Amino acid sequence: MAEKPQPLHVVYCGVCGLPPEYCEFGPDFEKCKPWLIQNAPDLYPDLLKEAEAKEADKISGQLQSTSISDGSSASKPEEVKRLPGGKVKKKEKQEIIIEKVTRNKRKCITTVKGLELFGVKLSDASKKLGKKFATGASVVKGPTEKEQIDVQGDIAYDIVDFITETWPDVPEAAIYFIEDGKKVPAV
Amino acid sequence: MFKKFTSEEVSGQNQVKASVQRKIRQSVAEEYPGLEPVLDDLLPKKSPLIVAKCPNHLNLVIVNNVPLFFNIRDGPYMPTLRLLHQYPNIMKKFQVDRGAIKFVLSGANIMCPGLTSPGGALDDDVEAESPVAIMAEGKQHALAIGFTKMSAKDIRSINKGIGVDNMHYLNDGLWKMERLD
Repeated sequence: MAEKPQPLHVVYCGVCGLPPEYCEFGPDFEKCKPWLIQNAPDLYPDLLKEAEAKEADKISGQLQSTSISDGSSASKPEEVKRLPGGKVKKKEKQEIIIEKVTRNKRKCITTVKGLELFGVKLSDASKKLGKKFATGASVVKGPTEKEQIDVQGDIAYDIVDFITETWPDVPEAAIYFIEDGKKVPAV
Repeated sequence: MFKKFTSEEVSGQNQVKASVQRKIRQSVAEEYPGLEPVLDDLLPKKSPLIVAKCPNHLNLVIVNNVPLFFNIRDGPYMPTLRLLHQYPNIMKKFQVDRGAIKFVLSGANIMCPGLTSPGGALDDDVEAESPVAIMAEGKQHALAIGFTKMSAKDIRSINKGIGVDNMHYLNDGLWKMERLD
């Protein structure tokens, strides 16, 4: 048997995740530059010169960004997320949608969508819901690749209170029902 | 192919039977003899091997939540770029000129002139319909994995149109999916 080739360790750019030599073709070369200067200065010799010139700008830019990020640090990373086409991904609206689906004549399922947008772990949530209402509750892959929680039984009205109590982050105004195909606020 | 690819597109993943596991190992070893010595590390016999099924007859071979290989229908298994970067010499290499990098990295197929121009290079042993690593002029690492449409000789003589199909390139969906849970 041949000698075992050792796996090569390749350093990837900390910003865009590409091997540093491809950063210039990456989605956002400008953002990679500071990282490249620190970690792979020999790959792009031009950068160092450029960086020195820009140093002054950067400091003032940093000051600005810190003052901005104080207010909206939570929402910023989501906005930066880009689709492969280069378009900026639309920010998802934070809302919870509760829908009652009739399964049999008198049996139904309550589905809860959008809990994950509030940073709630869906598997934990389904467990809590199941415990509270003494029914089966499960995390299901929804129609449009989103995950949702299915709870057996009609719990549409009690669930609002339960959600706002268990997860204080969730404002009551963000909860909606779907009735006859229309979206109705819960409050 | 992986341009828009997310973990949500995986329609199902199964731990495969030992016989299927053997088959995968065998075909990988056949396709990439250079990988054989480390195959035991990559696809340990003990740890479960998971095959994830995705749309378009695509299969991903996953070990310890890391995608390692993919194949289409019953086609050959191809390594992911992250794996190829670790073992760069396992595949036959084509090299494209600098002008082509931009297009390849946005998912374009590789056209013959980009391979035959001064910046490009061809491995003459490559037949049609076989996986190749796409390198780039002046770069050290592979930037894409392709599937040849014609043999290297034909690419040289015809020098027109698509020479290599782009399967998987840097910063596409599969690249971004470092781990799959």
